[in-house]
Amino acid sequence: MFFNSFHFAIFMPIVFMLYWFVGHKSKINQNYILILASYYFYSCWDWRFLFLLVFSTLLDYVSAMKIEKSQTSSERKMWLWTCVSINLGFLGVFKYYNFFAQSFAEMIHLFGFTASPILLKLILPVGISFYTFHGLSYIIDIYYKRIKSEKNFVDYSLFVSYFPLLVAGPIERATHLLPQIKVRRKFNFNKAQEGIYQIVWGLVKKVVIADSCSVYANEIFNHYTTANSLSLILGAVYFAFQIYGDFSGYSDIALGTSKLFGIDLLKNFNYPYFSRDIAEFWRKWHISLSSWFRDYLYIPLGGSKGNKWFQVRNTFIIFLVSGFWHGANWTYVAWGLINAIYFLPLLLLNRNRKNVDDFTLGLNFESVKTLFNILVTFSITCVAWIFFRAKTITDAVLYLKRMFTNLHFNEEYFRIERYSHNLIPLVLIFVLVEWNNRHKLEPISGKYSWLKLSLCIAAILALGVFSDYKEFIYFQF
Amino acid sequence: MKQFLIFLTKGLAIIILTMVLLDVLYTAIYMQSDSRSKIDYLYHSKNKSYDVVFLGSSRVNNHFVPKIFNDQGYTTFNFGITRSRLEESALMLQMMVERHYKIKNLILQVDLNINSNDHSEAIRSLFMPYLHSSKTIRDFYRTIPEYNQLLYIPFYRYMHYDARIGFREMYYSAVHKKTNALDNDGFYPLLTDQRPMVAADLSKYYPKRNKGYEEIKAICKKNHINLIAMTTPMCMETINRDYFNHLHEIYPEIRRFENAVTEDKYFSTCGHMNKDGAIEFTKIVFKALFKPKIAQ
Repeated sequence: MFFNSFHFAIFMPIVFMLYWFVGHKSKINQNYILILASYYFYSCWDWRFLFLLVFSTLLDYVSAMKIEKSQTSSERKMWLWTCVSINLGFLGVFKYYNFFAQSFAEMIHLFGFTASPILLKLILPVGISFYTFHGLSYIIDIYYKRIKSEKNFVDYSLFVSYFPLLVAGPIERATHLLPQIKVRRKFNFNKAQEGIYQIVWGLVKKVVIADSCSVYANEIFNHYTTANSLSLILGAVYFAFQIYGDFSGYSDIALGTSKLFGIDLLKNFNYPYFSRDIAEFWRKWHISLSSWFRDYLYIPLGGSKGNKWFQVRNTFIIFLVSGFWHGANWTYVAWGLINAIYFLPLLLLNRNRKNVDDFTLGLNFESVKTLFNILVTFSITCVAWIFFRAKTITDAVLYLKRMFTNLHFNEEYFRIERYSHNLIPLVLIFVLVEWNNRHKLEPISGKYSWLKLSLCIAAILALGVFSDYKEFIYFQF
Repeated sequence: MKQFLIFLTKGLAIIILTMVLLDVLYTAIYMQSDSRSKIDYLYHSKNKSYDVVFLGSSRVNNHFVPKIFNDQGYTTFNFGITRSRLEESALMLQMMVERHYKIKNLILQVDLNINSNDHSEAIRSLFMPYLHSSKTIRDFYRTIPEYNQLLYIPFYRYMHYDARIGFREMYYSAVHKKTNALDNDGFYPLLTDQRPMVAADLSKYYPKRNKGYEEIKAICKKNHINLIAMTTPMCMETINRDYFNHLHEIYPEIRRFENAVTEDKYFSTCGHMNKDGAIEFTKIVFKALFKPKIAQ
């Protein structure tokens, strides 16, 4: 069941009505309704994965209590590592086993040996990367005594399986979500209205921007060997907007949906393409994952303490692991590595926290410099996205090589019966709307909200891609 | 909560109103467009009189040159549409009858397209703007699963087929951007040749009785149109040319022209002839089935 499906359009009002009209009198009822809805939501992909979700929930729930009750630090450590190992073990088997088996076979082939690895015919459970990290953050927080373990199994289960964030995040923290789950939610009109605006804007990003861009990006990436430089540049730009519209659109719908139940989720995107350097980009892109890695990997590794060599090592580990988290393919690792390389000069020159403040533009040299920096950051991000999108690293390298050597910049007519430049006006309008509303969660609220809402609805209906249905990219992770 | 329910009701009203308005707008624009595709040309035309009409897929669109017929005193038009199947050809013929076309001969391509009783989504979409205004189109699609949604939900048809009749096509229709669909009396020549040519593989094709073809036969019989069903050429490297023998076993009346042109120089791809091939082929067909009206 996807957020932009007819099924969800039926499911959501039913849950909403049950939640506010039947279960509104107590927090217990509200949580039961949400948990049943969440399990139903998850079972729509494959009911068998429910067992995995319940097992993971039980494991974290029991482990947390065991850690808390442990008398000695070695016992605490034992429970922590047991839980972490089992969680990562599941993730490893489902997501990475085949990749490692194949890579091992290819590696020994280089030394003249042959191996036929036993590959598992496994379907990747939807959202496993998200809810595994979700549970891990809870366990680690318990271990470091940042929070108390949750005794109520229903409340804890809801924390793990809450349907708006179950399959593609944001990756929540127990410190943020559990306190909200533990109290009865009262209906708040302003919050619910804000939720609707976020859902509508999320749909614009998904069905208008991401899905339109994907039509062109797929065509260009699938036929990059015959495309000219202009098309290849546009292909990278279209993919940048596809993945942004897709994932941030999904996050907006998730956040908006959750607001309808009176629960706030962590903000996942903060207009990342208006970043002035790559460090700022990573503070604004997939914030819940970046901060997860920062808090549970980077800081335990030593973070920015220690000498430069230590910091560089930690940075590379974070980016490589982040790339690998996205999928079992070397292209994702390469994408992580490229981002680490982008980050390196900022780290070495101590400039990685230079652009943390907000900015305004005026008619001065500083503004020109800011715009130039934004453009450069966006461009290098697009280059990295080529590795993320390409099927293999070789494809990505050849794509880039052709982009810089072909040097033909005339418009091309594709097999999909469209010209390469057809989508530029739509992308530019989208950038302008985002730019003018970059201090808000979404552009609909405020003055003339009804007019803006109507325009968004008209855009979804008239400009949305419906005949060639696209799934959310991040569901595969 | 009451305030929120009012808010939602207003939002829902906006959605419905927007759908109605967009439907009216799109339909109005398509109603005044008659040169973007052969279907809108057909919809807006009336009382045409043709000696020969060509119907079929790209293997008609790229293969029959009306000029060769017209130079001999015939009035012809190539209504072949790339990706069209026999179901769409049948509907086009029904529309011609509805529009009081006088057709003496119908040359219908029946070869690879007989392999499937399915429809072409890309071509079906082009009929959708006229769903409310044409009884023929409505009746034709009455049995398809999404018929009620297409007919009764405003704007649904434009969303469902957005790739072909969505915003982009509506915009081009509104600004009267011309296409080459109607140039050369409907003939679209292929000017580039794929080399090396990739052999077409018909080993997975199984000719079977076809509903669309049967329907076309019935329409022709009822309206006294001389139906000439024929195969069109494919390159000699085609795998499983035996397909045409099987086809002939099922429908013996289909005239065999698959070997009318054989040299590779006449083919753009294995399944489609280039411009020279089309000229050569049309001359062969004309010579085999027609006589010049104008004295040479």
